[in-house]
Amino acid sequence: MLTVIIFLPFAGAIAALALWREPKMCRRMSLCVALADLLLVTSLFFAALRPCPAGSWLLLEDHSWIESLNVRYSLGLDGISLLLVLLTALLGVLSILVSWKQIDEKVGLFHFFLLSMQAGVMGVFLATDLFLFYLFWELQIIPMFFIIGIWGHAERIFATVKFVMFSIAGSLLMLVALVSLYILHGQATGHYTFSLFMLTGFPMSKTAELLIFSAFLLAFAIKIPVFPVHTWLPDAHTEAPTAGSVILAGLLLKTGAYAVLRFAFPLFPNAAFASVPFLIAVGLIGLFYASWIAFAQRDMKRLVAYSSIAHMGLIVIGLAVWNRITVSGAVLQMINHGITTSALFILVGMLDERTRTRDLSEMGGIWTRMPIFSAFFLLFAMSSIGLPGLNNFIGEILILAGAFATHPGAAVIAFGGMVVTLVYILRLVQETLYGVPRREFAEMCDLSGREAAILVPLALAVLAIGFYPGPVLDLLQGPIHSIVGVGVGRMAALP
Amino acid sequence: MKSILALMLLFPLTGAVFQALFGRKVARRVSEAAACLAVGGSFMLALAAFILGWGATFTLSFFEWIAVDSFRVAADVLFNPLSALMALMVTFVSTIIHIYSVGYMHEDRDYTRYFCYLNIFVFSMLIIALADNLVFLFVGWEGVGFCSYVLIGFWYSDIPRATAGRKAFLLTRIGDVAFGIAIGLFFARFNSTAISFINAHAAELDAGAATIFGLLLLWSAMGKSAQLPLTVWLPDAMAGPTPVSALIHAATMVTAGVYLLMRLYPVLSLSSTAMAAVAGVGMVTALYAALSALGQRDIKKVLAYSTISQLGYMFVAIGAGDIIGSMAFLLSHAFYKSLLFLCAGCILHALHEQGDIFMMGGLKAYMPKVFWVFLAGALSLAAIPATGGFWNKDRLLLAILNNPGDFFNLIWLGALAASFLTSLYTFRLFFAVFAKPVGLAVEEVRPIPRIMTDTLWPLAFLGLTAGYLNLSPEWGGDEWLAGYLAHVQGAIEHIGADPALESQTALYDSALALAGVAVAYMLHGPREFFSFRQLVEWFRAASGAALAGFYLDRFYTVMIARPYKKLSELLWVYADEKMLDGGIVGSGRTLPEFASVLRLWTTGRISTYLGMLFLGFAALACGLAISFYVAF
Repeated sequence: MLTVIIFLPFAGAIAALALWREPKMCRRMSLCVALADLLLVTSLFFAALRPCPAGSWLLLEDHSWIESLNVRYSLGLDGISLLLVLLTALLGVLSILVSWKQIDEKVGLFHFFLLSMQAGVMGVFLATDLFLFYLFWELQIIPMFFIIGIWGHAERIFATVKFVMFSIAGSLLMLVALVSLYILHGQATGHYTFSLFMLTGFPMSKTAELLIFSAFLLAFAIKIPVFPVHTWLPDAHTEAPTAGSVILAGLLLKTGAYAVLRFAFPLFPNAAFASVPFLIAVGLIGLFYASWIAFAQRDMKRLVAYSSIAHMGLIVIGLAVWNRITVSGAVLQMINHGITTSALFILVGMLDERTRTRDLSEMGGIWTRMPIFSAFFLLFAMSSIGLPGLNNFIGEILILAGAFATHPGAAVIAFGGMVVTLVYILRLVQETLYGVPRREFAEMCDLSGREAAILVPLALAVLAIGFYPGPVLDLLQGPIHSIVGVGVGRMAALP
Repeated sequence: MKSILALMLLFPLTGAVFQALFGRKVARRVSEAAACLAVGGSFMLALAAFILGWGATFTLSFFEWIAVDSFRVAADVLFNPLSALMALMVTFVSTIIHIYSVGYMHEDRDYTRYFCYLNIFVFSMLIIALADNLVFLFVGWEGVGFCSYVLIGFWYSDIPRATAGRKAFLLTRIGDVAFGIAIGLFFARFNSTAISFINAHAAELDAGAATIFGLLLLWSAMGKSAQLPLTVWLPDAMAGPTPVSALIHAATMVTAGVYLLMRLYPVLSLSSTAMAAVAGVGMVTALYAALSALGQRDIKKVLAYSTISQLGYMFVAIGAGDIIGSMAFLLSHAFYKSLLFLCAGCILHALHEQGDIFMMGGLKAYMPKVFWVFLAGALSLAAIPATGGFWNKDRLLLAILNNPGDFFNLIWLGALAASFLTSLYTFRLFFAVFAKPVGLAVEEVRPIPRIMTDTLWPLAFLGLTAGYLNLSPEWGGDEWLAGYLAHVQGAIEHIGADPALESQTALYDSALALAGVAVAYMLHGPREFFSFRQLVEWFRAASGAALAGFYLDRFYTVMIARPYKKLSELLWVYADEKMLDGGIVGSGRTLPEFASVLRLWTTGRISTYLGMLFLGFAALACGLAISFYVAF
C-alpha cells in the first residue's frame, strides 16, 4: 500500500516523459495519476479516522534491500505522516492544475519532475530507514532544481543554483552524520543498521551525540528554513513557477520540520534537550525578523515567501518546547501553513497570469474587477494572520498556550507575532485588493472554473480545520504521545 | 435552552453564508430581507432565552472544539443575567440597524457584501456575549475586529477609508495580544480557560498573580474599547458607513472590552492595583476624549470622541467596583449613542455626506423628526436631570465615593468635570446642527427615506428611559436592573450611600450638566452672547489641539509607524540581502592575508551565496555550541 502511494506518482512521471509529444494527453494523464493517488490517501485517511487499535503505526512495510550494508526498505505510516502525505497528494493535484495554462514548454518533462518530486516528498514522510530517508531527501531536491531552472522567471538560474547549494550543503552534513551514526552503532553493538527503531535509544558518548545531532539539525534547519540560513528561500520562491512555489512552501519546508520531529529529536534526546533554548531563540528571531522584512517587500511572491519563514519560526518554537500540546500544534501548523501559503502563492500566480506583474505598487482595486478572487484572497490572508475560526489559529494557540507552562517568556514574546504578521498581511491585502480600480485591468476576468476548482478545496480545508479540528488532532495524538513521551522520559533522566 | 442558544448563534451565521453564496443571485429585496430576518430571528431567540432563563446561571457545551492533552476548549456558553442582557441588547440594536441599513444602502450596489459582513459581525458579537471558554470567546473577539476592519474600509476604492480600517484592526489587535497572553497564563495557572471555572477558583490566586491577570485584561479591554493609549483608531473608524459606526463603534464592539472586564470581574476585583488602574485609565480617557470632542468639526467625530469618553465612564464604574452600574451605563449608552449615530446618518444623507457641523445649522426646519429624536439622545447623553442618562451617572458618582482614599476622590472630581464637558460638547453639537441658521437652500437637502427615520423611535424611547430601570429607592424606584443582575458574581446590588451625600451628588451633577448646556447655548446658540474676541481666539487655539486629538495619533505615526516601515526596508536591503555579502567582501578588504584566499571565490554571485551559506552555518553552529555549553 505505502509503496503504491509513493511509486504511483513515480510511474506517472515516467509515463509523462513518454508522452512528451502530446502536452494535452500528458497533462490529463498526470492529473489522473495524481487524483488516483489522492483518492488512495484519502481513503486511508477516512479508514484511520475510525477508532483504531492502540499503537501509533497504522501501516508498516519492511523488506531487506541492500543486504551487505543491512539497508532496509522500510516504510511506516502513522497519523503524522498520514496527514502530511494527504497534504502532499492534494498539493500534487493542485500543482498540476495551476500549471495547466502557465506551463506550455516541455510539458512532458515538467510533469516528470513534478510527479517525481511528489514521490520523493512522500518517501521522506514515510521512510523509517535512515538511508532510504536520505535517498528520498535527495530525490526531492533534484526535480526542484530543474523546475526552477527551466520554467522559472527571469533570474531563475541564480535562484536555483542558490537553492541547490544550500540544499546540498545540508545533505552532505546529513550524510556524514548518517554514516557516523551507522558506524558508531555498529561498533558498539556489532549490529550495523540504518533503522530508525533500532537506532532510537542507542546510548552514545556526549561528544558524539552532540556532533551528530548538530549535523542533522543544521541540515534540517536549512530546509525549514531557520534564520540565518533562510536566504535561499525568497529567491527560490520569487523565481519558481507557481507549481514550484506551491510544492516548495507547502511540502519541502515541511520535510525539514518533519525530520526534526521524527529523527533529530527522538534519536538524540540529550542533545535535543540542550538545544531547546537555542531553537526557541532562532524561532523567535525568524518570526519577527522575517515578518518585519516581509513588510518592506514590493514583490508579492517575496512577501509571501518571507511570511513562510516567519510561520516556520513559530513551528520551530512549537517543536522545541516539546510537549504534546505544542508538538500537536506544530504538526497541525505544518498542514495549515501548507494549505494557506500554497493558496496565497496560487492566488498571486493567478494574478500574475492576468496582470503580468507581481509588483504591489502596480496593483490596486482588484476587488472591483474580480470580486470572487478577492474574497478568496481575503479568506486566505485572514487564515494567515491566524483569525480564530480559521485553520492557522488552532495551531498557533496550541503552540502558544502549550508553551506557557515551561517557557512563559518566549510565549509572551511570540504572542507579539500576532501584530507583526497582521502588519504585512494587511498591507498585502490593501495594496492588492483596495484602492481605485486601475484602467489597465479593465478587461480582467474573474476566476475560471478550473481556478475555482483549485481554490475551493483549499478554502474548505481552511474552514474545516478551523471550525472542527477534532478528527485531525485525534489522529495526531497516538504518534505524538509515543514520540514526545519517549523524548521527555529520557530528557528527564539528564544528569 | 440549548437549541435556543445554538439557533441564536446560527441565525446570523446562516445569514452570512447565504449572503456570501447566493446574495448576488437573488433579488435585492430577498437579500435585504434575509439579512434582517437572520438578525431579527436571533433577537426573538434572545428574547426567548432572556425570559425562559430568567435569573438563571448555567453553562452548556455545544461541542468539543480543540482537545489535545490537557488543553481542552469547547464551544460553550456561560449563561447568566449579564450575558442574557448583553445578547438581548446586541440583537435588538442589530435588528434596528439592519432595517435602517436597508434604507441607508439603497443606492449602493454592493449591498450583499455589506450585509454579509454585518451578519458575521452579529454572530461574532453574540459569541462574545455568551461564550464561556476564553478561547471560544476569542473567536468572537477577533471576529468583531475583522468585521470592523472590513466594514470601516467598506468603500475600499477610497484609500483613506481602507487605511482607517487597517489601523483599527492593528490597534485593536495590540490589545488582543494581551488577551492571548491572558489565555496562555490562565491555562498555565488553572489548566482551564473556561470563565466559569476561572471565576470559581479565582480566590486561589495570590495578589501578584491577580494583578498581572487584571492588568492583562485591562490591556485587552483597552484595545477593543478604545481607551488611552489605544484610542486613536476610533475617530478614524468613522470612515465606515454610518450604520456601522452606530452598531460597531458605539453600541456593541467597543463595549466588548467593558463586558470582558465584567465577565472576569471576580479575577479583576482581587487586585486593588488593577482596579485602580481600570478606574484611572477610564477617567483619564473620559476627560481626554471629552476635551477632544469639544474641538471636532465633523458630526461623526464628535460622536466618536463622545463614545470614547463614555466608555471611559464605564471603565470607571468597573474600577469603582460596581459592575451593575457599568452595565446599566452600557445599555443606556448603546441605545442613545446608536440613536445619535443613526440621526447623523440621516443628516449626512440629506446633506450629501457633508459632515461639518458649522456648515449645517437650522436643520430643525428641514427634518423635524430627526430633530426630536436627536434631542432625546442628546439629553440622555448629557445626563440632563430626569433623563435615563442622569440616573446612570448618579449611581456612578456614588459608586466612586464608596471607595475610600484620595485616589477615588480625585476620580470623583474628574467624573464631575467630565460630566460638565459632556453636556457642553453634546449641546455644542446640538445647537450647531439644529439651531443657528446658516441658510441652507431647501433644494440642497435630500429627502430621507422613511425607513431610516421611523426606526429611530424605539431607540429614542429606550435611550431616554433605560436609566429608569435602575432608579434607586431613594428616588422612588425599585432598582429593577440591579435586582436582576444581583446574582452575577461580584455584583453589588445597592450602593447604599449616605442620603445626604446622595442628594448632594445629584445636585452637583445636575448643576454641572445644565451649566454645560448653558455655556453651549451661549457659544453656539441661535443668538450671539459673546463678543469677547480674545476669548473666542483662545478657544479656537485650544480647539486646534483638541481637533487633532491632542496629537496622539501623530505621535504614533512619527514614533512608531514610520520608523517601523523605514527600518523594515533597511533591514531587508542591508541585513538580509547585503550584510552577509558585504561582510565577506568587507572582511576581505580589511584582512589582506585572508583576502587572497577569499578573492578566489568572492567574485560573482555564486561566491556570495557560498559566503551567505558559510556565515549562516557558522552562526547556527556557534549558537548551537553555546546552547550545548550552557546545558552541560
